[in-house]
Amino acid sequence: MNRIDEFLIGVKPQREWGWLVITYLFLGGAGAGLFLISLYIDHTVAGALGLLVLLLGTVLLLLDLGRPERFWRAFFHPQSSWISRGCFFIALVVVCGGLETAVRLFGLGAPLGTVAGTVSLVARSVGAAAAILVMVYTGFVLAPSPAIPFWNSAFFPIIFFAYSLLAGIDILILSSPLLPGPTLDLAFLERAQNYLAVACLILLLSHLSIMSGSAVAARESIRLLTRGKWAPLFLGGVVGAGLIIPLVFVAFAGQSGLQAVFAVTAVLALLRLFGDYLFRFLVIRAGMYDPLL
Amino acid sequence: MARYGMVIDLNICIGCNACTMACKAEHASPSGVFFAKVLEKEVGKFPAARRVFLPVLCNHCEKPACRDVCPTGATSKREDGVVLIDYDLCIGCRSCIEACPYGSRTFYDGNGAYFEGHTTLFETAKQTLSEGVVMKCNFCVHRVDQGLDPACVQTCPTECRFFGDLDDPKSRVSHLVSDKKARSLLPDKGLEPSVFYIGS
Repeated sequence: MNRIDEFLIGVKPQREWGWLVITYLFLGGAGAGLFLISLYIDHTVAGALGLLVLLLGTVLLLLDLGRPERFWRAFFHPQSSWISRGCFFIALVVVCGGLETAVRLFGLGAPLGTVAGTVSLVARSVGAAAAILVMVYTGFVLAPSPAIPFWNSAFFPIIFFAYSLLAGIDILILSSPLLPGPTLDLAFLERAQNYLAVACLILLLSHLSIMSGSAVAARESIRLLTRGKWAPLFLGGVVGAGLIIPLVFVAFAGQSGLQAVFAVTAVLALLRLFGDYLFRFLVIRAGMYDPLL
Repeated sequence: MARYGMVIDLNICIGCNACTMACKAEHASPSGVFFAKVLEKEVGKFPAARRVFLPVLCNHCEKPACRDVCPTGATSKREDGVVLIDYDLCIGCRSCIEACPYGSRTFYDGNGAYFEGHTTLFETAKQTLSEGVVMKCNFCVHRVDQGLDPACVQTCPTECRFFGDLDDPKSRVSHLVSDKKARSLLPDKGLEPSVFYIGS
């Protein structure tokens, strides 16, 4: 065996990104998802809530920086850095979303053709596109890493999109009793959640299946998630509580009318949010360097 | 234009860590931060057990992943191939650490004093380091730009390290790379390191 090979002896977990980044991934995605769905259902206050959630996540991300006072420099390298691009996406959502919300909240929702109407339409369109990009760009931040094979997946941007929308709608469901404005169609939202949960499950299993034939470190990540120390959280929390239990409940109890009870819908939403946060947590914490030098 | 690189002869390295100490002295790097170090491992079984050494440092890759992910442009690659961090631009996001498969980078949180509650004269005189930024080997560019070798190369008592222009076919490092079947670390990552190893 060559001397260099003697040192290629194993894998080690990444430890640089912790709970602040994980919570940003969750809140940033959920906030953008909530803002996007609010545009679809035309609910201005829900959109404002989405922007607040996104801003809260962004504050946590800033706190994670070694030099947060220099955060503005992160806008300087969009030609190659997805983090830099993400800064622009977040800024676009906040500016366009804020503008759109202000135009509507202050009663300036004039018909198209007027200045206010045109501004609102442009802000809506750009804000919606930027919200989608905020939901997916974190997947692109992880996917190209040459050091952590578990993240090298084209699935991540899509999974992050699905999970972000899932979390955004769950926050909408939970906050619906308190939100002023038009009444929400909870049955429609719950149906959308079922489709999204199935999509998340399929994407998640596809990612694990592909990674199981990948590099040593990726296989170790999967072992940790399915048979190792993270298995209870992944199988019980992400897959079980976050996806399977709500789906099974809807399949068996949906016809009984139980789903129409808000408390039941809220519990299902909380379970999905719990699973969503755990998913982000485990994606980051199960990242392993391949191999240890 | 030159492309600086290093060749390390593993048959000659005795694992004395003189390179590690020379690097520390040159850069006054904080406690726990190593730009250059020597990995050690025991292999084989008694009575044939032995220790093997692998000196490592930043590989100054031709296609550095750390540079591409950096959102501020703090990590850059000079025309001569040296990959540098501008500590005044770094925001400490650590995305470069996540991207580097060699573990060559370290986040410095400011707790780098060698003696808690006391700063030595050496630290006072030489440590001008920013806190909250990522650090790594810079091939001693301040020495290289004066025509000198990096401190680790200069210091190595067994002369197992060779530094020079990989693009110059007449250079020692070019000959070593081509004649001695030099290997780089983790070539499958596709980053094309500029640090090579010869010997077995």
